[in-house]
Amino acid sequence: MKYPVLFIVALLVLATLFAGCTQQAATQQQTTSASQGTIKIGVIVSLTGPASNVGNNMWQSAQVAADKINADGGVTLKDGSKAQIKLIVGDDESTQQGGQKAATKLITDDKVDILVGGYSSAVTSAYEQTIAEYKVPYIVTGASSPIITHRTDIDTSYVFHHCPTTDTYGQYTTSFIDQVIRSAIAKKSGFSADRPLRLALMYQDTAFGKGVQTAVNNTITKEKLNIQLVSQQSFKMGESDFRTQLTAIKAANPDAVYIAAFPNEGAPIITQARRDIGLNTIFLNVENNDNAQFYKDLGQYGEGAIIESRFSPYTAPAGAVADAQNAFKQAYFTKFGTYPDMMGASTYEGVFIAAKAIGNAGTTDKATVRQALVNLKMPQVIEAMKDQTISFSPDFRESTFDLWMEQLSFNQTLGETRPAIVWPDNLKTTAFALPSWYTAGST
Amino acid sequence: MMDNLGIFLQIMFWGLYAGCIYILLATGLNLIFGVMKIVNFAHGEFLMIGAYITATIFFLTGINPYVIILLSMLALIGIGAIVERLCFRPILGTGKLNEIFLSIGLIYIFQNGAAMIWGDAWQSVRSPYDGITVPVGSLSVPLDYIIIVAFTAAILFALYFFLKKTTTGMEMRATSQNRKGAMLVGINVERIDIISFGLGCALAAAAGTLWVVSGQVFNPYMGSIPAVKAFAIIILGGLGSIPGAIIGGLLMGIAENSAAYLLGGIWKDAVSFIILIVVLVVRPTGLFGEKGE
Amino acid sequence: MNFKRDDLTKYGLVAILVIAAAVPVLSDSMFLINLLVLMLISIIFASAWNLLAFSGQGSLGHAAFFGIGAYASTMIAVQSGISPFITIFLGAAVAAFIGVLIGLTCVRLKEWFLAMVTFGFAIIVQTLTVSVLAPITGGWDGIASPRLLSPSIPGYQLIEYYAVLIITIASLVAIWYIMKSRIGLAFLAIRENEVEARSAGVDPVRYRLFAFAISAYLAGVAGAIQIHHIGYLTPELYGVDNSFWPITFVILGGLGTLAGPVIGTIVLTVIWEGLKATGLTFGRYVIVGFILILTIIFLPKGLVNLPERIQIWWKGRGRNETGARPQRE
Repeated sequence: MKYPVLFIVALLVLATLFAGCTQQAATQQQTTSASQGTIKIGVIVSLTGPASNVGNNMWQSAQVAADKINADGGVTLKDGSKAQIKLIVGDDESTQQGGQKAATKLITDDKVDILVGGYSSAVTSAYEQTIAEYKVPYIVTGASSPIITHRTDIDTSYVFHHCPTTDTYGQYTTSFIDQVIRSAIAKKSGFSADRPLRLALMYQDTAFGKGVQTAVNNTITKEKLNIQLVSQQSFKMGESDFRTQLTAIKAANPDAVYIAAFPNEGAPIITQARRDIGLNTIFLNVENNDNAQFYKDLGQYGEGAIIESRFSPYTAPAGAVADAQNAFKQAYFTKFGTYPDMMGASTYEGVFIAAKAIGNAGTTDKATVRQALVNLKMPQVIEAMKDQTISFSPDFRESTFDLWMEQLSFNQTLGETRPAIVWPDNLKTTAFALPSWYTAGST
Repeated sequence: MMDNLGIFLQIMFWGLYAGCIYILLATGLNLIFGVMKIVNFAHGEFLMIGAYITATIFFLTGINPYVIILLSMLALIGIGAIVERLCFRPILGTGKLNEIFLSIGLIYIFQNGAAMIWGDAWQSVRSPYDGITVPVGSLSVPLDYIIIVAFTAAILFALYFFLKKTTTGMEMRATSQNRKGAMLVGINVERIDIISFGLGCALAAAAGTLWVVSGQVFNPYMGSIPAVKAFAIIILGGLGSIPGAIIGGLLMGIAENSAAYLLGGIWKDAVSFIILIVVLVVRPTGLFGEKGE
Repeated sequence: MNFKRDDLTKYGLVAILVIAAAVPVLSDSMFLINLLVLMLISIIFASAWNLLAFSGQGSLGHAAFFGIGAYASTMIAVQSGISPFITIFLGAAVAAFIGVLIGLTCVRLKEWFLAMVTFGFAIIVQTLTVSVLAPITGGWDGIASPRLLSPSIPGYQLIEYYAVLIITIASLVAIWYIMKSRIGLAFLAIRENEVEARSAGVDPVRYRLFAFAISAYLAGVAGAIQIHHIGYLTPELYGVDNSFWPITFVILGGLGTLAGPVIGTIVLTVIWEGLKATGLTFGRYVIVGFILILTIIFLPKGLVNLPERIQIWWKGRGRNETGARPQRE
């Protein structure tokens, strides 16, 4: 009869040890940070799960940023002392539970001063409660849903959104279609000025894709654009065969097709459309497609396609932005042997924003830092921002990017297409042109 | 009306294309299930490994992917044999639920192992015949399409020949019909087990290669849904029936694409299961019953 | 030293309970508390799946009930303003109802057909949630879910923890009672041999549906608690991952036992968090896969059976085939 009792005692001892260890680790962290002048930035990304590719990019970009800031001397606090940045990563595992665990650990155990990161809106929404409760400033750099800061059921005043949303690029691309593509088509095909532009949508049936669909529809209605949505086809995330939906789109005779998809879907969509279905038209893509693999997968079929972008592997607005982006890409490549993508770019900037806000606040006190973020006006880091400044809108704390549209043209030597910026006028290097094989929809 | 018909014909056309991959998967499953009566939900992982082996060899050597098919099939016979011997042999006879749970473990290992080796980014391979089309009647059919259909047919014919005419093939059929009887007449049943498992995996590898060549992107997670659908197909077409698998595969491809067109792309996966559930409610033993279950 | 299975279950569970109640006293790590709440939820969910498997029905789509419970509870709470503590049990009833409907389609099916059908149901439910039902479910964007306790209440995390602990204990007691009763006996009978069960007067259909109902109910409770704990609801809840984890927990712990799901969940959660701390990413899943396969092959009755196996091995060592100790020369 003694054994069961022994068993219970053994388990109790184990539990105490386990609990004690966690507590000790947490206190240790606290003393270290207070005594050595370290600023702890928590980075929440998806290191596993379907989004891990982007997640790794974001985490590595954050590291490159921290290295640079620390090498340049760190962040100056109110008493004149300089603090170094220490990054602590949390893997949200692309699930709600994982996200909550990562956020809680970073906030309550590691006691970070500020948070950066976040990709999937579903996952980020899961721990926004914790953020609000503990009042930790959070700079979201990877999520594309506007819901993050528009939610009304909790206090989102500590959440700052530094990443274009589906609203943004949906509206932006639709404007481009209305202003630039319409006149190009009219000139080429001699259509009358009041002919509505025939637009087709191919969107991923997820929050992301539907967000773009909503944005396009709203933009057309609100701005009373002369665009007719002749076909709106959806596909499930991860789909690889789009020929059915493309057949339907072709039957609707569009002038252009706007694709809201990930690169692993966007490239097959365009390839299958042009090669198999014979849909030879202008395809517009969302910014997340602007990476090397997309160009590789597209091959020659990308000719004439448009990507709305802010960070491209192959081009950048000439001048300071191009220099800054190249420096970042080089630093990233030196450290990791690969190249960053745009979620990495915004996360890189997110760390700089965090450092600047703390520097402006002069302290790591979270409420003061939050106010510093609200008042923030810092020069753009590597991506073009509106008025060359990073600042957060007063209503929903979103920053405004200076997006551009690039058109792809085929490079025979490389066997792939390469982009050139065609819009807006202050950034463009060449004019938008309809390819010779382009056929408009019906009159 | 004629316009809609035209669209439907095109949808059926592309449905056939998707059907080929399902047919190969389903036939492989039938082989394994017929002989060993085991349920392996990780079958799709063999498809995925076949795709990756094809892509890797192609990136390294530039050999025509259609030729690499044979290499990947061979590689998977080997991998399949190992999995059968180490994992399924020990639990043979302990119940189908056990096999299903085992396959869940295999899925974790294969998917994430592949991600560790090749990374989990999506990749693609460009067929050397990309862009070449062949006029068939009034249509311009891509050459790849024809080759893929031809390959599928060739593999199926080879399999048919193997099963009907060779000794090993006959032993396989005997074992699938009556395992104890086969043992009694001196057939080495364990050897047959390994061979059928290996062959089933080889067919999955072929499906993986054709997937890659048809220009579809792939990543470590792409095998799981096709595998479950392949199971749905063999249940519908009749367990152990190869003609059933062929018809089932074709119908599945067409049904999915029609659903995508009529209801929206999100219904593609759900529709296969709806069909399965409806059929099973009406006939709990599957459309054409079973052979030797 | 005699480890009887029943003794171990009883004392082991009591021990775990004592520790569980004591943890908040021993540590003030909110991360740990949150982790434990999520673990308790997993224990309820795993136990629910286990009960269904106990009756011979292995579902691969249990996330469907998890999600339906969450959605129903949230929508009732949002529409009516009733406290989540009550809507959890109402939402679970909706899950139980759907469970019976799904069970009806599965009653005459062989076990692996049932596995496929349940897998398919999870996909169908998710598709419906984001398409036809999107206006009320919020589609892919999801909806905010009222929390169990308002964060303005001091110490609310601890109260929440103890509340979930009590619900977990209640669920386990309910399952224990069912397993020990004649219903449990009937479950075993239809699992082992349906024909014999029928001839003994046990109607498989009735008991299978009952198993589905209870299992779906508890899974719905787990799902509802989780979503009210987290505060935001999205359709990713119906994902395959959510269906597979309880299976892994139960197999590791011991299918068909009361302590199995509990032990399996705790052990695997500790291993998982430990692996995360080492920085392994994909490797975590590979290791879990290996653990699962090794368990199925070498320890088919799960961890709860480990002491017995060790005991048998211990007694058996040093003896040859006849059971006699080798003689000294």
